[in-house]
Amino acid sequence: MTTPVFDLRDGAVFLGGRQILHDVGVRVEPGEFVAVLGANGSGKTTLVRTLVGLVPLASGSLEIFGTPLARFRQWPRLGYVPQRLGVGGGVPSTVREVVASGRIGRARRLRRMSRQDHRAIDHALEDVGLSDRAGDPLTTLSGGQQQRVLIARALAGEPEVLVLDEPTAGVDADSQDTLAGALGHLSRAGGSVVLVAHELGPLEELIHRAIVMGGGRVLSDGPPPRPVGEHAAADHVHLHPHEGTPPAELTGLPATTFGTDR
Amino acid sequence: MSLFAFDFMRRALVAAVLVGAAAPAIGTFLVQRRLALMGDGIGHIALTGVALGFLLGTAPVLTAIVVAIAGAVTIELIRERGRTSGDVALALLFYGGIAGGVLLIGLSSAGSSTTLVGYLFGSLSSVQAIDLAVIAGLSVAVVAVVAVFGRELFAVCMDEEVARVSGLPVRFLNILVAVTAAVTVTVAMRVVGLLLVSALMVVPVATAQQLSRSFRATLLGACLVGVLASVGGLVLAFYANVAPGASTVVLALGGFLVAAVIGQAVRRVAGRR
Repeated sequence: MTTPVFDLRDGAVFLGGRQILHDVGVRVEPGEFVAVLGANGSGKTTLVRTLVGLVPLASGSLEIFGTPLARFRQWPRLGYVPQRLGVGGGVPSTVREVVASGRIGRARRLRRMSRQDHRAIDHALEDVGLSDRAGDPLTTLSGGQQQRVLIARALAGEPEVLVLDEPTAGVDADSQDTLAGALGHLSRAGGSVVLVAHELGPLEELIHRAIVMGGGRVLSDGPPPRPVGEHAAADHVHLHPHEGTPPAELTGLPATTFGTDR
Repeated sequence: MSLFAFDFMRRALVAAVLVGAAAPAIGTFLVQRRLALMGDGIGHIALTGVALGFLLGTAPVLTAIVVAIAGAVTIELIRERGRTSGDVALALLFYGGIAGGVLLIGLSSAGSSTTLVGYLFGSLSSVQAIDLAVIAGLSVAVVAVVAVFGRELFAVCMDEEVARVSGLPVRFLNILVAVTAAVTVTVAMRVVGLLLVSALMVVPVATAQQLSRSFRATLLGACLVGVLASVGGLVLAFYANVAPGASTVVLALGGFLVAAVIGQAVRRVAGRR
């Protein structure tokens, strides 16, 4: 039996006196690619923040790589990508400086960065397609590119599991593809990924399992919902019945390709 | 008349170089985490410490260091709890520090409100040989903190939560920044004064970042600007017979304006290519 990456049991979380998570149990195995889905306020962000130890459990237990959170010290095995750039940033920093700061968990005090450190940073930059922007100030990048920098920062630490909070929110299509590529690399190399998402986009094919949250509880946990039957056909179009006539570009399609979303 | 002819002036010049380099070094991290006014808050608190020294009959610098450190750690803990926002916590420090200083100096027989003025604006002739030794020691400590913990401090100031998940001792590092800032303020108070010490932590950083692209270049550039401003300000103060804090800050602000104009021109030319 393998040791799970995360093993959360009966987790309850309160924030500002309000209960956000109720009896949440989540187990993530090594090599799994898990998406946490759900509406706004369903508790999905709180769930992943709990998994990395940023939000304290009121009750229940959490083990990371088989060690209870309180005794867990192998932080470099974890990579965390927040939703946005942090509050810092009053001083210009280059893309490379920010990515290099993700190496901090593996770097030693008073030692210069080793060749291995520099290689990991180079790889992380390549993985997100920003090698050519390494010397540019972070502020000159687009929102999607900045999100890629945050992911590269986590990758630079060469984590075994990457936890991402809405990495695709407000990110352009190009950056989404790059992101999917980088996460695909990590996943194929045996790494685990847990990510919160509103829309999966190009990430959909990578996902092994989807946890759907609602009202602070796990509503469902299993293989991601895949379109089946004629819904899976490449030319399948979802048409929601609304008042009025369908748009012109759809009225010309053969009737058999129409399905109604329930 | 050469300014090197006076003992106190030679000491003040050495002090200016040390303070000019140390203040922006820690200031860069404060600006990075958008706590640029923290130095000012600590300066106000240190005033209470100075007054306490007069009241107790001990060296004002020592009590200032102790009280400033206590204040800085308090502000950090209040911020960490998250119940009071950073700027409200700073406001509490500002008012409490000034009021405490004036109150305590009133109670003491050794000093009066006018005694405090020397500490508020700095005074050249007040730098003694023993002060210089203290300033040198503390400046070395500040530079050592930045050299040893710089990478970790950068990570924490960039994003505290990511730093926590990286396994960094975030609370220790936050308090380290706060204590280092407090020490810097009390070190610099003899040269530039408590009211303007924060300027030496922030203005050189603002100046350097007009022309720099990286954090490292900003930090080193800010130290250079800080040394130029404090030495220049001291020389100016000597010849014009004004408070050194004022001339230092005016020089630093002038440097900022020049850098801002140059930076804008450089970016415009770069943008046209």
